[in-house]
Amino acid sequence: MTAMIGKKIPRADALAKVRGQAAYVADLALEGSLAATLLRSPHPFARIKAIDVTRAAKMPGIAAIAFSGNTPAKPLDFGIKDQHLFPREYVRYAGEPVAAIAGDTIEHARAAAAAIAVTYEVLTPVQSIAQALAPHAPLVHPDWQAYEKGANRVLRGNVCGYNRIRRGDVASAFSSADVVVESKFEFSPGIPGYIEPRAAIARREADLGLTVWCGSQSPYSNRDDLAAFFDLPQERVRFINQFVGGAFGGKILMATEWYAAALALQCDRPVRMVWSRQEDGQNVFPRHGGTATFRSGARNDGTLLAMQASFFFDTGAYIGYGSGTALIATMLASAPYRIPNIDLEGTLVYTNKQVAGPVRAPGGPQSTFAKELHLDELARVLAIDPLEFRLHNAWEDGDVSPTGQKLASVSVKETLRRAAEAIGWHQERAAHQGVGIACSWWFSSCGRSQANVEVRADGSVHVSSGNPEVGTGSAAGAIPLIVADRLGVDPHAIVLTLGDTATGTYDGGVGGSASTFSAGQAAKIAADDVRDQLLARAEEALEARRDDIDLHDGTASVRGAPGHAISLAQLASQSGGGAISATGETKEISEPEFDASLVQSHDFASWLAPSFTTSAALVDVDAETGRVRVHRIVTAQDVGFAVNPTGIVGQIEGGAVQALGFALSEELLFGAGGIINTGFHDYLLPTAVDAPKLDAIIVTSPSSEGPFGMKGVGEPPVTTPAGAIGNAIRDAAGAVPYTTPMTPERVWRALRDAAR
Amino acid sequence: MQRVRLQVNGSVREAMVEPQLSLLRLLRDELQLTGTKEGCSEGYCGACTVLVDGEPVNSCLFFAVDADHKNVTTVEGLEDAQGRPHPLQSAFVQEGGLQCGFCTPGMLMSAVALLEANPSPDENDVRLAIAGNICRCTGYQAIVSAVVAAAAVVRKQDAQRSARERKPMHSRP
Repeated sequence: MTAMIGKKIPRADALAKVRGQAAYVADLALEGSLAATLLRSPHPFARIKAIDVTRAAKMPGIAAIAFSGNTPAKPLDFGIKDQHLFPREYVRYAGEPVAAIAGDTIEHARAAAAAIAVTYEVLTPVQSIAQALAPHAPLVHPDWQAYEKGANRVLRGNVCGYNRIRRGDVASAFSSADVVVESKFEFSPGIPGYIEPRAAIARREADLGLTVWCGSQSPYSNRDDLAAFFDLPQERVRFINQFVGGAFGGKILMATEWYAAALALQCDRPVRMVWSRQEDGQNVFPRHGGTATFRSGARNDGTLLAMQASFFFDTGAYIGYGSGTALIATMLASAPYRIPNIDLEGTLVYTNKQVAGPVRAPGGPQSTFAKELHLDELARVLAIDPLEFRLHNAWEDGDVSPTGQKLASVSVKETLRRAAEAIGWHQERAAHQGVGIACSWWFSSCGRSQANVEVRADGSVHVSSGNPEVGTGSAAGAIPLIVADRLGVDPHAIVLTLGDTATGTYDGGVGGSASTFSAGQAAKIAADDVRDQLLARAEEALEARRDDIDLHDGTASVRGAPGHAISLAQLASQSGGGAISATGETKEISEPEFDASLVQSHDFASWLAPSFTTSAALVDVDAETGRVRVHRIVTAQDVGFAVNPTGIVGQIEGGAVQALGFALSEELLFGAGGIINTGFHDYLLPTAVDAPKLDAIIVTSPSSEGPFGMKGVGEPPVTTPAGAIGNAIRDAAGAVPYTTPMTPERVWRALRDAAR
Repeated sequence: MQRVRLQVNGSVREAMVEPQLSLLRLLRDELQLTGTKEGCSEGYCGACTVLVDGEPVNSCLFFAVDADHKNVTTVEGLEDAQGRPHPLQSAFVQEGGLQCGFCTPGMLMSAVALLEANPSPDENDVRLAIAGNICRCTGYQAIVSAVVAAAAVVRKQDAQRSARERKPMHSRP
């Protein structure tokens, strides 16, 4: 390989960020901007009888009010057409925006919001999965039968998603098993936890187009959705992504962008909507809460025979991007283990709450926590060491996935062994300490992505990618490394343009651990093309054979004759033939084959370039208070090939501490009036003193599909640590709550119940 | 409205402010110093941390009028007179102590205050010093390593500086 790929090199945006020069949306000051706010529903469920904005619109300093009465009536399309930009007949969660208001100052806008008269008929809300599924439950969508929906979508009253994976015959396998164990789990909803609240600025342009400054994971698809909704020509709508202060799945769908745009289309000044933390908390797309029931049977020697699992997820008021959670949960439920008989179901349920979304690894932490605690329980009943139990059942090359996909490059046992060794699995420990282990698998995604690479006459190298940099380091870390490597230039000298739709380099966005896999691949293809062109010119200029020419330090030189060289500037100048550029685009990768007869309404049954991850945790439990102290989390993750090790370690370490929050402290609470803890003082993100020592072990078992053999990186490390922590708690104290987060109270109760 | 006069990153700045205006709003909206970030506006995330007379404060909870006649340092004031990054800034870059970068300015200011008070912090000291700065991306470990590494650089620089300053005194006849 090469000079830069795989080396620890600082990301391109690091210096701007430590200098405070990186501009996020709220840092932009467009002259003449209006300030915008929202009027929100105070009720979780109510019929809108009337909305009257006349008084508010006449108030001083008010420029525009957008609401159902003056925005398109068509529904948004997320697979089930169950939502409008502004609610028209019903409000379905407390905090749901009913109108957006733009004024000279935020005080003007707020005063007008208070003057909008909405007449509600308050209805009985559906506040839990149990209530939603009860006979004669109120319907969150009384008109559900009239909704259009996509193929493979299930909609039946308050059930808005259902999938099933079934193989073999679980009933007879259970009857032949030596041991059968059943466990029930509950997961609390959580927030993505980005520190930068959402913000957008929109401005109508003289050509009747629209510019939106945003902090999005997906500026291109946002642009497409916005242009289609407002019937604007797509080429006249420009999304300019700024630096993004964290996203974690929470900034895929538009929020502030919709409202700022709706208002900007009504006036001649830029509209700025910057949410406070509390406002962001009202419109956050939470991680799904829910329940799981697991039942598994094994022989006395530890061989798994059958598993039955059923998940219910609370997806809130609208389908949004929530359906992936149930699809992924079932794909994870029996993996990465060889279980001949499985029956796995995932159900998505409407309630009158905020719209749950695809928070980093949707379904991953929940499903993996439940499955790994459940199987640990089984191992304990069988009196088999949990590590040995996993190694006995774990997949190997040639095994098949739950849906019958043939698996290659299966590294799960290596990740298990390396994580166990690092945590000191077989070492003696103090009585109140324990270790736990948990493993899983995950997918890579290859979305459509384009990149342009250009060497200009002055020798400067310009790279444009549609992939936005949200913090992960794919765009600002991996892409420059890949291009610098192909062209032999300093990665920090590359001029990067990211996530600006005016460049035309499309990208499907950050999500599904896709960024380096897709955008990195597009950059590699473009850079390889530019490299070819540079070498062709250098061949002529240096009168040497291409094979003898090296690109390094911004020059092309003949190997063995260092003085015989020409700079990239000369090669790209007029005399050299002019600037050199190329656009690269991801190649379509056909989905791996699977057995469609094993699945029911499941459209994510085939996983590209699967990866394997194991976490191990060392904890200390205070049995008197139930307080858990996590000392160490080790994660061994198979990344296929490590393009950008600094970024990967950052993903693994950051994922571990997000998972720590999921495991021990993060719990979004709902009361009659909606979310109770919309702030960081009452929603507990882990701090530096909560975070343990972290170890990131990079395993490289290459995929055949990924660029350089890589596999997706961003999501897996948040899926496994909570299971490891839970199992470590039981190892330390003899019991563990099957509810997340495992707060001191829940741990204390679990220990008390076990002692009875 | 009330007049405030303060030093920000070494320059005297004046502004007319409402009595309830926060120092954060003064810095960002009136003085166009947007390096300091607003994450929660309630003193819990620490993204808005700045130094007031050397002490780290959540500028979202600090009244602008209370900064009258005080010295305020923000992330924009960390570079030296030649524009070279502070050792903490360099260490954050080198150690991968940032990802999205939104908590970084506040994190740096808490770390600056720590190194002023304790030039040789261990990992635990660092974690306590940044306990009021939430980072959702990194898991903190790279930040802690960066601060420990920067502390060593600062100690070395201080030692060199004081050696230089001592020399003429000793050589004086």
